Amino acid sequence: MTLAITADRAKAESAAIAGRLPPLLIAAERIAATVTQGVHGRRRVGSGDVFWQHRPYYPGDELKQLDWRQSAKSDKIYLRQMEWSAAQTVYLWCDLSPSMDYASRKELPTKAERSMVLLLALSSVLSRAGERVALMGDPEPPISGRAVAERLADRLQHRTQVAQRSTGDNAENERSLPPPVLLPAHAHAVMISDFLSPIDEFRGLLERFAARDVRGHLLQVLDPAEVAMPFLGRVRFRGMEREGELLMSRVESIRDQYLNKLDAHREELRTLARHAGWSFSTHATDAPGAPALLALYQWLAADKRFRA
Amino acid sequence: MMSLGGLAFVSPWLLVGLAALPVLWWLLRLTPPAPKRIPFPAIRLLFGLLPKEETPHRTPWWLILLRLAIAALLIVGLSHPLWNAAQPFPRSGPLLLVLDDGWASGPAWGERQAFGQELIAEADREKRGVILLTTAPRPNGQLRPVSLLSADQAAAQLAALQPSPWPVDRAKALELLEAADFAKDLNTVWLADGLADMKAENDRALFDGLSKRGQVTVMDDGPGAVPILLQEPELRPQGITLRAARTVAGAPQRINVRVLDRENHSLGLVTVDFKAPELTATANVDLPIELRSRASQLVLEGGQSAGSIALLDDSGGRKPIGVVTDNPTLGSQPLLGELYYIQRALAPNNEVRIGDLATLTAQPISMIILPDQTALGPDQRAILQKWVERGGMLVRFAGERLSATPDDTLVPARLRQGDRILGGALSWAQPTTLDAFPSSSPFAGLPVPKDIHVQRQVLAEPAIDLGSKTWARLADGTPLVTGAKTGQGTLVLFHVSANAEWSDLALSGLFVQMLDRLVDLAAGAPAGDVDAQKPLPPVAMLDGFGRLAGVPAGVLPISGKDLQDAKIGPQHPPGFYGESKARLALNLSGAVKTLKPLGLAAQPLTRAHTVDFKPWLLAAAFLLLIGDLLIALALRGLLVRPTVRGAAAGTAAMLFAVMLTASPQARAAEESDAQIIAATQAAHLAYVRTGAPEVDATSRAGLKGLTEVLLQRTSADVGDPVGVDLETDDLTFYPLLYWPISGSQKQPSPAAVDRLNKYLAGGGLIFFDTADQNVSGLSGSVGPGAMRLQELTQGMDIPPLVPVPADHVLTRAFYLLKDFPGRWIGGSLWVESANSRINDGVSTVVVGSNDYASAWAIDDYGQPLYPVTPGGERQREMAYRFGVNLVMYSMTGNYKSDQVHVPAILERLGQ
Repeated sequence: MTLAITADRAKAESAAIAGRLPPLLIAAERIAATVTQGVHGRRRVGSGDVFWQHRPYYPGDELKQLDWRQSAKSDKIYLRQMEWSAAQTVYLWCDLSPSMDYASRKELPTKAERSMVLLLALSSVLSRAGERVALMGDPEPPISGRAVAERLADRLQHRTQVAQRSTGDNAENERSLPPPVLLPAHAHAVMISDFLSPIDEFRGLLERFAARDVRGHLLQVLDPAEVAMPFLGRVRFRGMEREGELLMSRVESIRDQYLNKLDAHREELRTLARHAGWSFSTHATDAPGAPALLALYQWLAADKRFRA
Repeated sequence: MMSLGGLAFVSPWLLVGLAALPVLWWLLRLTPPAPKRIPFPAIRLLFGLLPKEETPHRTPWWLILLRLAIAALLIVGLSHPLWNAAQPFPRSGPLLLVLDDGWASGPAWGERQAFGQELIAEADREKRGVILLTTAPRPNGQLRPVSLLSADQAAAQLAALQPSPWPVDRAKALELLEAADFAKDLNTVWLADGLADMKAENDRALFDGLSKRGQVTVMDDGPGAVPILLQEPELRPQGITLRAARTVAGAPQRINVRVLDRENHSLGLVTVDFKAPELTATANVDLPIELRSRASQLVLEGGQSAGSIALLDDSGGRKPIGVVTDNPTLGSQPLLGELYYIQRALAPNNEVRIGDLATLTAQPISMIILPDQTALGPDQRAILQKWVERGGMLVRFAGERLSATPDDTLVPARLRQGDRILGGALSWAQPTTLDAFPSSSPFAGLPVPKDIHVQRQVLAEPAIDLGSKTWARLADGTPLVTGAKTGQGTLVLFHVSANAEWSDLALSGLFVQMLDRLVDLAAGAPAGDVDAQKPLPPVAMLDGFGRLAGVPAGVLPISGKDLQDAKIGPQHPPGFYGESKARLALNLSGAVKTLKPLGLAAQPLTRAHTVDFKPWLLAAAFLLLIGDLLIALALRGLLVRPTVRGAAAGTAAMLFAVMLTASPQARAAEESDAQIIAATQAAHLAYVRTGAPEVDATSRAGLKGLTEVLLQRTSADVGDPVGVDLETDDLTFYPLLYWPISGSQKQPSPAAVDRLNKYLAGGGLIFFDTADQNVSGLSGSVGPGAMRLQELTQGMDIPPLVPVPADHVLTRAFYLLKDFPGRWIGGSLWVESANSRINDGVSTVVVGSNDYASAWAIDDYGQPLYPVTPGGERQREMAYRFGVNLVMYSMTGNYKSDQVHVPAILERLGQ
C-alpha cells in the first residue's frame, strides 16, 4: 500500500503549493475581503474586534464597556459594542480507496496523492485565513492555527495506516464515500474523490447533508487516462476495487461510448450537487494543482455564508 | 546428402517442414496475440459498453512474417546446408589420413594441415572414425602409433603435428600399417610430400598396402610446388660454391639464396638459375674474404624446409691459436706472466697451443700470438714473416724488449724508440683512458669501460697511413692497437704489454672481447685436423621449417668421423655440432642422396573451402526469436515503454561496442593527436594544475603575463600557457613546467612520478615555487611550501641543490640580474649544483620561494593582479626579467655560459 508513503509526500507537496499562496490570497481578497480576515461578523452585537455600534448607557451595564472618549463629546454616556464574530469550520474529506491509487503514467502522481495535496493545501490556506479545519469522520475536533497542514497530514497518515492494517470489505479506505457522520448544521464541506462509485450511493449522502443545510463542494480528481481513454487494441481491463475484469478486443471502438458515459456521469453529479446547493468541479492529475485549489477557494469565497 | 549446385544438405528430408509454413501462417493469423492487462479504476463505466464491430484483433502481418521467418530459418538450418561440400567418402569404413611429415612437407605445411582438418570435419559429419598415419619418425626414432580415433581427437592431434627436418620412412609406415588390424574398407587419403623415398619401391609398397585396405587417393602439392634442396656448399679459396637440386626439370627456375652470418645478419644475396632441362644449378657466392669467413648459413628465400638451408662450418673451420714462447714456466706465472693473461682470455672458447715457433708453424694454426718476452732470432723472424704473408695472423704485444728495438720490422707501423710513461713520478700526464673504437676497426662497437688506464705504451712514428692502421686509440689520440695487412695475412700490435704492468687492459673484459674479435678475423685452419673420435655435442638444430632453434630432446652427440656420412634422423637432425666457437655443420643434403619425384599418380591438393551454414542460420533464428519475445512482451504491455527504449538503446550500444571496439580508442587517439598538434604549434609555458582553483588561476594569469612580456621583448614565440595534469597529460612538449606548491595538491601517483623523472631526464625543466617567502622570510625557518615540496617530490629524481651562484647562467640568460624578486623578495633561488657532465650542466630543477606567478599575473586588461611587496614597479619589472631569463634558460640551456659571450657581457658590465 503506497498511501502511507504518499501522505508524507503530499505534506511536502502541499507545502510547496501553499507556498505559492500569497498571490492566491490577493486574488481571493479581491473577491471577498472577509475571507482573508477569517473571522466572520454575525451582524449583531457580540464578542469580537470590529466596532458595531454605540449604545446609550443604561444602569446595570458593565463600566468597562464604556466608551469614554465618545461619552466626553456629548452629554450622554455611550457604550461601545462590537460585532459578534465567529470562525467557520470547514470539513474536508478525500477518497483513499484503492481506485484512487492509480496513475496511468510513471511521471504522473496518483489520484490519491493529488487529492491529499489539494486537501492539505486547502487546509493550509483556510488556516491562514483563520478558519477552523477538520477531517470529515475524524474524531479529532476542528483545529486552527499555524501547523494545521502538518497536523492534518499526520491524521491522514494515521488513517492510511489504519486502513493498511484493516483489510476487508468494511475497511474505511475501501469506501469510496465519506463515513456517514453527522456534520453540524450549516457547516461547510469539501469532498475530493474520483466519484466513480454508483451515483445512487452518493445521492443519499448528499441529500442527508442538504437536509442539515451543510453546503459544500465536490472536486472530482481523475487520471488523464480515465478522461481520455487512450488505450488501443486488445486489452484486458482490471478493476481496482474488485469490480472484476473486462476483455475488450478493440478498445478504440468503444472510446466514444466511454467518453459519453463519463460525461453523463459527471453531468449527473453536477445536477445532484446543484440540487443540494453544492458545487462541482473536475481536475485531471496531469494538470497543475494550483488552479484546482484556486477554484475551490473561489467557491468558498463566493459562498454567501462566509461573508454573512 | 542432397546437393543443388554448390549447395548441399546433410539432412534434406527436414526441408519437408517448409511445406508446413502456410499452415503455420494460417494458425498465427487466427490466434490473436495475448491482450494487454491494464488496471483501470473507471472500469464501472466500461461495463455494459458494446463495441460496434466485433472483428477480432488480429496478429499484425509483420509479426506473422517474423515468426514464419524464424520457422523457415530453423527448418533450413536444421537441414544442415553446406556450400562447396566435400565429396562423401566412397567406402563405409573410417578415414585413414596418411600424412608425409618429413622435411619436404615444410613449405606447404599449413595448407596440408588445413586440408587434413577439412577431411576430418567431413568424416565427423559422416560419423566416421579417423586413423592418422604419419611417415616421418618421431624424436624417439619410432613412428607415431596408429589407432582409430574420434574426429575430435584426430583434429587435435593433427593440429599439434609439426614437420620433421629429416626424411620420411615409408617402409616403417607400411610395417606399422601391417601390424595394425584395420578393416578392409578404409577411405585412405595420402597427403604426400611429392618426393620419392630413398628406395623407390617403398613408395609403391606402401601404396599397394593401402590399396589392399580400401580406396586410396594420393594428393600432393601439385606440379608447381617442387621442393628444392640446397646441397652441401663447397668452400674454395675463391668463394663458396652453392649447388641446388630440384625434382622436376623442364622449365627455367630462379631462386634467391641469402648468405647469413652467425647472428642472422645478411651478408649477401645470391641468385641461382636452373636451366630448363637441368635438375641442378650451381652458383658461386662471391664475398670478400672477411665476410666469407663470417658466412654461416645459406638460406633459400621462401624455402621453409630443412632442405632449404645449408649450414657452413664456423669460419670455414676451427681456429687453433698458437702462443710462441721460449719459457712457458716464466710466462705462465699467475698474475705476472704474459701467457697467463692470454691463456685466460682465449682458453675457454678456443684451442690454445703453447710452444716454440718451429712446432707451431708446423701445425695448422690460424693465429699466432707473440708475447714480448719471447726473443726471436733472425731466421725465426723470417719464418714468421713468411707464415704471416701466407695468410696467418700475428698478434704481438709491446714490452721492454720491443721498446728497446725500434727497428723491428714485424710490426704494422714503425715505432719510435723508447716508450711513453704516463702518470709516473716524473710525468705531468695522468694515466690515459681508451677512446671509442673507430668504426673501421675490427673492435668497432665494443663498449669501452671507463676504468681502463694505460700507464705505458710504445708510440708509433707518425705516418700518413697511421690513422687507417689504428684499430684502437687512447683518449689523447695515440694508437693502442695497430693492425695492417702483410701479404695475405695480418699483423696486429698491442702497444701495451699483455700483462698488467703497462695497463689495466689485460685485466678487463674488453681484453677478452678484443681477442675474440681478432680470432673471428683470423682465417680458419684447413679442415681435416678434426679430432675424429671426439664426440661433438649438438649446438643448434634445424626444425621442420628450416629455422635454427634449440636442441630438442633425443639428439645425440656425433663424432667428427661420422659427421660426413651421418644418417640424418631423430638422433642426428641437421644443425650445428661441436663447440659453440667452432661449430661443424651437418646438412640434410648429406642424407638425401636421391631427389626424385614420387612415382605415383597424385591429385593436386586443393581445399574445397566448405562453408557450413547451420550455425549461422540457427544463430539468426535464435536472435529473431529473442526479438519476437521482446515484441510479444511489448504487445502485452509487460515492457514499460522507457525500458523498451532503454533496452533497445542498450542493445544498439552493445552491438556498436562489439562492432567498433576500436573506435573509442581511435577517437581518443584523434583527440590526443589534436592536443599534440596544438601543443607543438608553438612553445607553451606550462603550469602544474594543483587542484586548488585559486592557485591554478594565479599560475595561469602569471604565465599569461610572462608570455606577453616574452612576446614583446624577445624572439621567443610562445603560445598561451597550458595547465597540465600530472596524472594524465603528456609533459614532453613543454620546455618549462611551473609548479606552484599548494598544500592541497594530491601526492603524484608512481606513474606520474615516473613521467616526471622521464621529463627531467629528457631535458625538461621544472620551476618549483614554494611561494612562502612571506612566511619563511619573516621567521627565517623552512616555510610550509618548502616542507610540502619535499613531500610532493618524493620519488622524483632531484639532484642535490645549491643556492644559485653569482655567475650562474640564470643571471645572464637574457637580462643581467643580481637577484630574483617575485611577489616577495629575499627568497633564495636553488639550482642543481653545476656538473657539466650531466645534462650539459643545465639544471633540471629550479626552486624559488618568492611567489613569482603572483608577480607576473595580469588580468584580462593587462593590469597586474597582485601588489608586490615591498613594492615598486621596479620589483615587478625585475620579476618579469627573471621570468624571461628562466624561459631563456629552459630553452637555450648553457648557451650563455659559453665563453664566446664573455666579451659582450663584460662590455655590458662596463668593465
